[in-house]
Amino acid sequence: MSRHAFRAMGTDVELLLDAEGAEAQAALRAAEAELRRLEALLSRFLPDSELSRLNRLGELAPGPDLLAVAEAALAARELTAGRFDPTVHDAVVAAGYDRTFELVAARGAPTPAVAARCGGGVEVDAASGTIRLDPGVRLDLGGIAKGYAVDRALRILAQHAPALVDAGGDIALTGKPWPVGVETADGTITLELAEGALATSGRDRRRWRAPEGERHHLIDPATGLPSEGDLLRVTAVAGTAAEAEVLAKALFLAGDADRAAAEADELGVPAVLVTRAGHTALAGGLA
Amino acid sequence: MARLYALAASILALFLAWIGIDAAPWQTEQPPAAAAAPADPAAAALAAYERRLRRDARLVRRVLAQRERQQSIPAPPAVRIVTAAPAATTRSS
Repeated sequence: MSRHAFRAMGTDVELLLDAEGAEAQAALRAAEAELRRLEALLSRFLPDSELSRLNRLGELAPGPDLLAVAEAALAARELTAGRFDPTVHDAVVAAGYDRTFELVAARGAPTPAVAARCGGGVEVDAASGTIRLDPGVRLDLGGIAKGYAVDRALRILAQHAPALVDAGGDIALTGKPWPVGVETADGTITLELAEGALATSGRDRRRWRAPEGERHHLIDPATGLPSEGDLLRVTAVAGTAAEAEVLAKALFLAGDADRAAAEADELGVPAVLVTRAGHTALAGGLA
Repeated sequence: MARLYALAASILALFLAWIGIDAAPWQTEQPPAAAAAPADPAAAALAAYERRLRRDARLVRRVLAQRERQQSIPAPPAVRIVTAAPAATTRSS
């Protein structure tokens, strides 16, 4: 088993490839290069990224990656009836997450939270390869872009051997049954799957000091403010890391654990739900 | 002269008939609640049937929307809980 760990996209990344030798090492380096390439295109913290240019200009004809992620994000907005929304950029910034998380965590939020409008117009014209934003609309593709990058890196590794990509909790794997840990309220359970992905959305990591006590990065598009439901975190299983990201966030923003569990059951999404009160629920056929 | 009387009598009869029709003595005034609830059992059954149809239509629309959402989400991969040591652990990202 070959392992390769590094830091990218503001988080710790680990690549596992069930092979040894020079070819395996080259595959790991290629997967790392792909993750770094996509970070350079899709990060809102890099002023020269395609996403930052789109947010500045309001219209851009980007490369195929930003186009694909923007299309996926809009499809997710439609599918989740607006609960997952890439236009939360200004709300995330208003909540204090206006620079990389390391800097935000060190500084905290100096002012009370201010609601920002979400749900603005975004048009992806696949024919001309152009993305247009309504005036005042900016995109934050954070989670779904990371999921997309994880899926792309896995595709490179999968050409060589069974592989697993873990980018700060967004995990995609293929080729053989892989045991993956999921944090519960009082420990960890292990799920095993041979293909697919897991992602976790929660308010227990990306959080920072604020005048009202504490604030986190998961914006409820309905209010334009950090979500205040009774969930601490949600882990969702899906075919790809991008899908798992969307589903985990949409279930987290369901408002309460009972509703999130009912939705996971209804949609058949395997999910682990942990409440702030310290309860764990398994849903979506996971038992 | 007789024709003149006949004409006047006809006009008078016409006015009286007009007033009579306009008064609509065959319509009986009812309190609003009684007017809203049809006294006719057939009409009441029809109204109940319509309410049932509307309720069923809402149910069908809800089921169709649910199926559409389920079909929009690709089937998840097979997953099971095991006791093996994890190769990696997911956490809030």
